[in-house]
Amino acid sequence: MPWLLVAAPMALLLAFFVLPNVLLLSTSFLKSEAQQLTGELTLENYTFLFGKPIYQWAFLRTFTVGAAVGLFTVLLGFPLAYFLVRTTSPWKGVLIAVCLAPLLASVVVRTYGWYIILNRFGAANDLFLWLGLIEERIAFMPSTGAIIIGLTHALLPYTVLTIMGSLNGINPNLEQAAMSLGASRTRTFFHVVLPLSLPGIAGGFILAFSIAISAYATPAILGGPATQVMATAIYGFITQLLDWSVGAALAVILIVSSFLLLFAAARLGAKQAAI
Amino acid sequence: MVTPWAALRGVVVLVYIFMLGPILITAAVSFNQSNRSQFPPQGFSLQWWQRAMAPEWVDPLWFSLKLASLTAVLSTLLALPLAFALARYRFRGREAMVALTLGPLMLPALVTGVGLLQLFQYAGLRDYIGFTALLVGHIVICLPFAVRTVAISLHTLPPNVELAAASLGASRARTLWHVVFPLIKSGIIAGAVFAFVHSFTDVNLSIFLARPGEVPITVKILGFLEFGFAPTLAAVSVITLLLPLALVAIVQRITGLGDFIYGQRERV
Repeated sequence: MPWLLVAAPMALLLAFFVLPNVLLLSTSFLKSEAQQLTGELTLENYTFLFGKPIYQWAFLRTFTVGAAVGLFTVLLGFPLAYFLVRTTSPWKGVLIAVCLAPLLASVVVRTYGWYIILNRFGAANDLFLWLGLIEERIAFMPSTGAIIIGLTHALLPYTVLTIMGSLNGINPNLEQAAMSLGASRTRTFFHVVLPLSLPGIAGGFILAFSIAISAYATPAILGGPATQVMATAIYGFITQLLDWSVGAALAVILIVSSFLLLFAAARLGAKQAAI
Repeated sequence: MVTPWAALRGVVVLVYIFMLGPILITAAVSFNQSNRSQFPPQGFSLQWWQRAMAPEWVDPLWFSLKLASLTAVLSTLLALPLAFALARYRFRGREAMVALTLGPLMLPALVTGVGLLQLFQYAGLRDYIGFTALLVGHIVICLPFAVRTVAISLHTLPPNVELAAASLGASRARTLWHVVFPLIKSGIIAGAVFAFVHSFTDVNLSIFLARPGEVPITVKILGFLEFGFAPTLAAVSVITLLLPLALVAIVQRITGLGDFIYGQRERV
């Protein structure tokens, strides 16, 4: 009986999810000559990527961006999540909705807002000139910093949601207990609330990290040829250089990276469940 | 003396400014008079909105709406039996199926896009790159959302209602149709809405599977940005932003989505 129910969706996933990924994995071990795949097995695609400084930099940049975005979403997201969980304001529902609403907009649209702000003739330059902080227009983008800002903005709601989940799970009586035993509000926060919400913080960090390393749109808009990340490099290999072998190898490296991150997240999640 | 709570409120205000600022600035710039991204805007004009109504922008917008609607319907139809089987039966291979169902959520959509492009090219389905390939890809990446939401509403169903219906003599089919289905309806609708939004806002997969004339709005905007700034894009962005927002607001009014937003993070 259940087999009949799952047949159609499973067939779809096998044909259009598993098969393409298997194809990609095998392509990454095939040699390609003059934009054509040959049948020859090789590890060259990988050694090529790991050997060239430009791609080494792209790896480094990708993970720096991922870690920075994870860190900033936690730094901005934790206060917000804490506020949203604890506030008694009648506007609580609205505030939560406003915080999550950006998820309904495409990353392209939201990053475009940063393009308007950060480009050489953009709002930030206009504002700083008007305030007299700068004498000449500065190019804030394309830059790695701009990519980090854009992705932090794009992924903040995910982190807030994750941290809110873990804050909601903290028994309020624990705080009451700490305070009734004479701990100050600050002490209670640092010794009770913060340690208990660590799994949520770690989860939010890793979630933002793993989405950030595979993001294409934001680095494409706020970065440039000099600030390549793995996602933009894959796009370049596949659509411009038509080098499927190296593109596939890069895609496999991206999969492995994000799987390792999610595996770490799952381990943390298991701990969370144990608590 | 500033209390910690007041300080926290100050920080929260700043975070909200950071979150909403770029969106509000985009909206403001779309009414700008000049073709520069001046902020604060100078004057007021609707010329960019008028240009955003040109076929160049309306066509991809319409294309995305069609794609997202069809994706929502088809992925929900596929998700219903799958979620039902995963939630109600214990069978060999169930764990593997759960993993496979959530797979597209774990794997970067960008990679799935590259893989699908390769599959379509090498399987001689080159002609289907465009709407068909996009539809297939979007169903794959939206399926986990729909399955999760339906599975959650099945799990939260009081177990006795089905027994009650059965004990009163209702057949299995009748119970499903008259008892289970109405109770999980809001879950189904929520799942479809999530699928719609996910499809409508996707870029990572779509950039590989679009072709001239069959381009989702997000890919169109991205391509146009290479040529630099144009206030028309600000107007288009605002439209692209408001469409899913309006949909969610309407559905929220009618059936309510709130319960499922947290649920998204739960297991199947």
